[in-house]
Amino acid sequence: MIQFEQVSKVYPGGQKALMDVNFHLRKGEMAFLTGHSGAGKSTLLKLITVIERASAGRVAINGHDIASVSAKHVPYLRRNIGMIFQNHHLLMEKTVFDNIALPLVIEGFSHSEIKKRVAGALDMVGLYGKERHQPIMLSGGEQQRVGIARAIVNKPPILLADEPTGNLDPKLSMDILRLFETFNDAGTSVLIATHDLGLIARMKYRTFTLKQGRMIGGEQ
Amino acid sequence: MAKQNNITQSKLPITGRIVMFFIRHIQQGMSSIGELWRNPVSSIMTMAVLGVSLSLPAALQVLVKNAETITQSWNSAAEISLFINEGRSEQSIQSLISRIKVFREVESVDYISREQALDEFQRLSGFGEALSYLDENPLPAVVTVTPSLKFSSPTGARELLVKLEREPEVSFGRLDIEWLERLQALVRLLEKTVLAIAALLVLAVVLVIGNTIRLAIMNRRTEIEIMKLVGATEAFIQRPFLYTGIWYGVIGGMLAWLIINALVWYLDGALAELMGLYGSQLSLESLTLTELGQLVLLASFLGWLGSYLSVRQHLRKIEPS
Repeated sequence: MIQFEQVSKVYPGGQKALMDVNFHLRKGEMAFLTGHSGAGKSTLLKLITVIERASAGRVAINGHDIASVSAKHVPYLRRNIGMIFQNHHLLMEKTVFDNIALPLVIEGFSHSEIKKRVAGALDMVGLYGKERHQPIMLSGGEQQRVGIARAIVNKPPILLADEPTGNLDPKLSMDILRLFETFNDAGTSVLIATHDLGLIARMKYRTFTLKQGRMIGGEQ
Repeated sequence: MAKQNNITQSKLPITGRIVMFFIRHIQQGMSSIGELWRNPVSSIMTMAVLGVSLSLPAALQVLVKNAETITQSWNSAAEISLFINEGRSEQSIQSLISRIKVFREVESVDYISREQALDEFQRLSGFGEALSYLDENPLPAVVTVTPSLKFSSPTGARELLVKLEREPEVSFGRLDIEWLERLQALVRLLEKTVLAIAALLVLAVVLVIGNTIRLAIMNRRTEIEIMKLVGATEAFIQRPFLYTGIWYGVIGGMLAWLIINALVWYLDGALAELMGLYGSQLSLESLTLTELGQLVLLASFLGWLGSYLSVRQHLRKIEPS
């Protein structure tokens, strides 16, 4: 689903973020991406979502080389990738409903369809009935769930999570991971970037490890 | 291959996309009104600035329009006085008049005989007594010719004068036209000034809207970043800003119209008084409904242009990081 071949990323300042990275996340697979801060996890995710472009090598999504995706088509590419962030990137002045509905509004779904899908997504993350709340009224864990609901509401084939449990206690973190597992069971490919090694150890999934921009001990 | 393509395309069917395109336009247009409503103070300030900026060129337009009506009524009053050679018989003068009457350049002809001229002079000048000491009537007969509307312009009237002077009975003709030419030159100058000032103010309107939209974009920076992250196209993100610009223009244009009407109403009383003193009845014309439509249309275009320029320049720079 996501394939990196000899990918390097050098930022304009000369900082080498990724060096010759190879990895392949298979269709329907769930895996972890780990490494210290500054090892290149964020850069790798940015290359997938075309926030940054690779300096060398080939990044392919669903067999499609993204170097050939023009800026005009990047938005459509991003609609295939649900993204979850550590600080959840919610619109604080909008309601939970509006936040989750955003990808659907962008894609142009009808209002009744949007209502149905948002209710479904809220149900999945366990926040049913909180549509009218503002994110500020929710706890950290609940806000993260709103972010997850927004990421999955248009049923993307790929789910990327950048430190999704960074601000949560172990029990809440485990809940979030169980949630990812349910999406994975439904066929979604999931890649979770985290430095929470304790969390990874308890799960049976493949782990890609980055160290100073290189992929080490990739496949387990 | 199909699978590869669908990753960079919308997943909705084409018909659904077309319908939703229009629905979204309406939604975003309406929600940008709501957005203005949410910041009433700054919105009203901006609209007031636009209203005042637009009212000045519109007021000048009203001025030019009224000046044109007035000078047009003076135009048609242009008259040619033909002084008849001394010693011409009444009969030859009558034949001259009937010849001139059929000219297509001529609207009407009036004849003032030497006796009538003398009578009039005695009555009006106050030199009646002195004239009676003269042996004979010193005044020539005069034929006044009013040119038809087509030939009442300075050049047309001048051509007609030359033609009339060729008549053997005519000693010379006079066309009091210099003042008319000066007036017309003045009106042309006024029109050009208005155009220049209007161009400057139109530019000001575009800049004001551009800057207002720039601030709006900066205020919603995070929101724009998030929208780009979840796959919003540039067109989708910029649309509410473009609508906001258009609404600014529409409301600014209507405000300008109100200001003009108030101005005309305020000045009309004073003008009527002035014209009353000259024994004339003239009242100021305000903007017609068509002109209101044109004003609002122009203003909304300016609003769109201002926000479009701003959006082009600032929206691109905001990228998620």
